[in-house]
Amino acid sequence: MSELISGDGRTHINSRLMRESLQDRGVLSQTDSDRDLQVFPDVTLVSIGGQSIFDRGKGAILPLIDELVQIKRDRSQKMVIGVGGGTRVRHTISIALDLGLPVGGMAQLVGAMEELNAILLNALLAPYGSMPMQRDHFWDLPLYFDAGITPIAISVPPYHFWEPPPEAGHLPMHGSDFGLFQLAEVLGMKQVIYVKDEDGLYDKNPKKHPDARRFGTIKLAELMAQLPDENILDRALFHAWSHAKNLQRITIVNGLSPGQLTAAMRGEEVGTVILKDPAV
Amino acid sequence: MSERRTIESALAGSTMTGPGDRVDYRPTAVMPDVKVVKIGGQSVLDRGRAALFPILDEIVEARRLGIQVVLLTGGGTRARHIYSIASELEMPTGVVATLGKYIPMQNARMLQMLLAKHGGIFMLPDDFEKLPLYLQMGCIPVMSGMPPFGYWEKREEGTRIPQHRTDAGVFLSAEFLGARRALFIKDEDGLYTDDPKKNPAATHIKTITAKELVERGLPDVVLERVVIEYLQRSQWCKELQIVNGLKPGQVLAALKGEDVGSIIRA
Repeated sequence: MSELISGDGRTHINSRLMRESLQDRGVLSQTDSDRDLQVFPDVTLVSIGGQSIFDRGKGAILPLIDELVQIKRDRSQKMVIGVGGGTRVRHTISIALDLGLPVGGMAQLVGAMEELNAILLNALLAPYGSMPMQRDHFWDLPLYFDAGITPIAISVPPYHFWEPPPEAGHLPMHGSDFGLFQLAEVLGMKQVIYVKDEDGLYDKNPKKHPDARRFGTIKLAELMAQLPDENILDRALFHAWSHAKNLQRITIVNGLSPGQLTAAMRGEEVGTVILKDPAV
Repeated sequence: MSERRTIESALAGSTMTGPGDRVDYRPTAVMPDVKVVKIGGQSVLDRGRAALFPILDEIVEARRLGIQVVLLTGGGTRARHIYSIASELEMPTGVVATLGKYIPMQNARMLQMLLAKHGGIFMLPDDFEKLPLYLQMGCIPVMSGMPPFGYWEKREEGTRIPQHRTDAGVFLSAEFLGARRALFIKDEDGLYTDDPKKNPAATHIKTITAKELVERGLPDVVLERVVIEYLQRSQWCKELQIVNGLKPGQVLAALKGEDVGSIIRA
């Protein structure tokens, strides 16, 4: 594969993509296959809500820490944890919108607010074995798991100044829910569990509509056909998941109800379970 | 039960997932006078000295005239080589995108070495905050065109090649900085009805809107498709100019604001 080819003014390395336009659909499709490599298929990613859990303070956070410590006792349960930023993210964006900052500027700013929650989580969990994981130091993960250390990941994806123009409105599209989904997807993890303050995903915001209906176990394709506008998870997540190859299961549980996270870790049907149809 | 402690703000209580944010938004341009310029990988850098040196001469001349230029580099054949091998190994798109960061970075470092005597300074992707200093000092900042998404690059249907590569990085940089036009230096006069390297009957397109370009449904386009999509909903960057760096005078003319090459408008 290392043969050098010239003759058109450029020097090429011989490869299937040599001299080709990477915009050409025919060329692009040659790179595809039915599967993606799965690096860590036995790991669960646990995402803890900012607004839903951390903004409630001690009363919501400490019972969840207790539950995580119990889960950690079983060394075969491998997990990575990430956290959202909550109300401080909303305040940051509100101010940034008023100032007219570009969407990339907003995306660059918000990660700091999630990080505050990550520091709190780590301070509470460290006595039982946890460590902040650097942005993309995934290759340390086997070492963490062997040592019984739970890594705490950075949840906001590094779109930063390069956040693309939003499809509608002015807010960045790639938040912490998407960032943690993508982390699990690219590493081929077993499942993602989103810990929020509702018993799952509803067709309407249950905080505003008492008649909101909860989804139980549902296929992603079915959910996409009726995706609620006001949603407990980022829209970008659902669109990315539709095109993804690896992740098969996302569960949304209520972190205010003790035991739901533990049940979801065991693969039980609790809260809302969204399944990717492997045939899709 | 513990209540949410919420800071009062326009978005307090919002799930931030609905399309309707009802906030009054009057955008502020960060550095609207900057020219964001891409130097193509396969089209320019892989050609070496013969193609690159005359282009750099014109960029240095523009800088001497007081035009503020930021250079972003493409990847080229080494990027294609690693994409090809990584695809065989069925690497996820996020891994392929991470691999794709390294070659434009090498190319940026090469340009910096060549431009050092004229104020060329290497910039990391997150260093936009230092740009005012570099430009006031008369420097020519050089950085990789690859967006920093890496492992967080989403998979696209039907391919594992990342959809945001260095053209997207150039457009998104211009959009963040509030520049109206992004300039792409390639080895063709811009847009054609087909790949002119393969089809001699292909004809040149002087100007076209993004919408018209999408409607033509060409199997191959000169810029990454995602850029054409974003152009239609951008806040600031409304024009993409593509010039032939192999033709003397084109780069300097474009940097002076002349409509040479092809222009794609929002």
